[in-house]
Amino acid sequence: MKKADYKVSGGKMIRVKLDVRKRRIETIRILGDFFLHPEETINEIERALLKAPIDRDSLVVRIEAAIRKNNAVLIGAQPDDIAIAILMADGSV
Amino acid sequence: MEEMRFIELTTNSAYENMAIDEAIMRGIRDGKSPPTLRLYRWKPSAVSIGTFQGMNDEVDIAFCRERGIDYIRRITGGGAVYHDYDGEVTYSIILPGGHRLAHHDIIESYKVICGGIEKALDILGIEAQFKPINDIVAGGKKISGNAQTRRHSCVLQHGTTLLDLDVHLMFSILKVPEEKISDKMVADVKERVTSVRDVLKRNVSIEELAAALQQGFAQALDVELRSGKLTDEEQQAARSLAADKYSTDEWNFSR
Repeated sequence: MKKADYKVSGGKMIRVKLDVRKRRIETIRILGDFFLHPEETINEIERALLKAPIDRDSLVVRIEAAIRKNNAVLIGAQPDDIAIAILMADGSV
Repeated sequence: MEEMRFIELTTNSAYENMAIDEAIMRGIRDGKSPPTLRLYRWKPSAVSIGTFQGMNDEVDIAFCRERGIDYIRRITGGGAVYHDYDGEVTYSIILPGGHRLAHHDIIESYKVICGGIEKALDILGIEAQFKPINDIVAGGKKISGNAQTRRHSCVLQHGTTLLDLDVHLMFSILKVPEEKISDKMVADVKERVTSVRDVLKRNVSIEELAAALQQGFAQALDVELRSGKLTDEEQQAARSLAADKYSTDEWNFSR
């Protein structure tokens, strides 16, 4: 299990815990003190990231798609911040 | 003037408090409950975590058990809060979607509702401002934290206003690596967080803070607060939610 904390400048804290296999996400948990409405969207985002390659742009595309699909609003962080936290947890930044 | 049900300061367990908030939301969703403001305390004292936080990440569970402090996951996002029985007053406001105070824009709606706390602090003699996303600051230091959810066709906002602050106890409850609990860190927190008693340098009582909150919300939100009670249906729903959701490890340790 790899882990990283990323404090968004002027925003909230994102904590990512993940397992990576062959450069792809095997399991992931996104935690933190951000806001996301509706809250259940977090499960969709985590699901959308399974098997995703550890690549900033691909991660952002998947996170944005899950948010759009649920008509969700993320507050205190941007999809890119979640991607950065994932890269940090993986040790690629 | 527009009326709003007001449920005056009550003391409940963490499970009951979170269950009552959700029970009122469900009542409003079903068209059976009116827009409501409630004030409450937590007994035993408890720590609540944001809905996306990890319980074991944030809270020293062993310490809490030893000291009889409850721990609970909220349905709202945001961070971990220690609700000391003698050290804060919590409010919640539950509105049907589309209510004039439930602004569509989330930050805007925080600002509108937090106006009640700004006004309450003003009544007490403290100049405080809303600081986006969800804080109220006095002299640049956080004095109130707030969190919102939108579900069941409702807007629920709850939050705490600090009456007193025990930084050492807070650090024991929240997971901060022990080596970091230095005097410097305690000093840092005191630079960032304050309380009503800290600012006013006098022994303001819980009741005085609660009365100011009642008056502050009434004035800032321009509503007539009508004292009321939970309906039988709300009480029943709250009992079920407390037993089947908020007191379970399944909910509290789901992340």
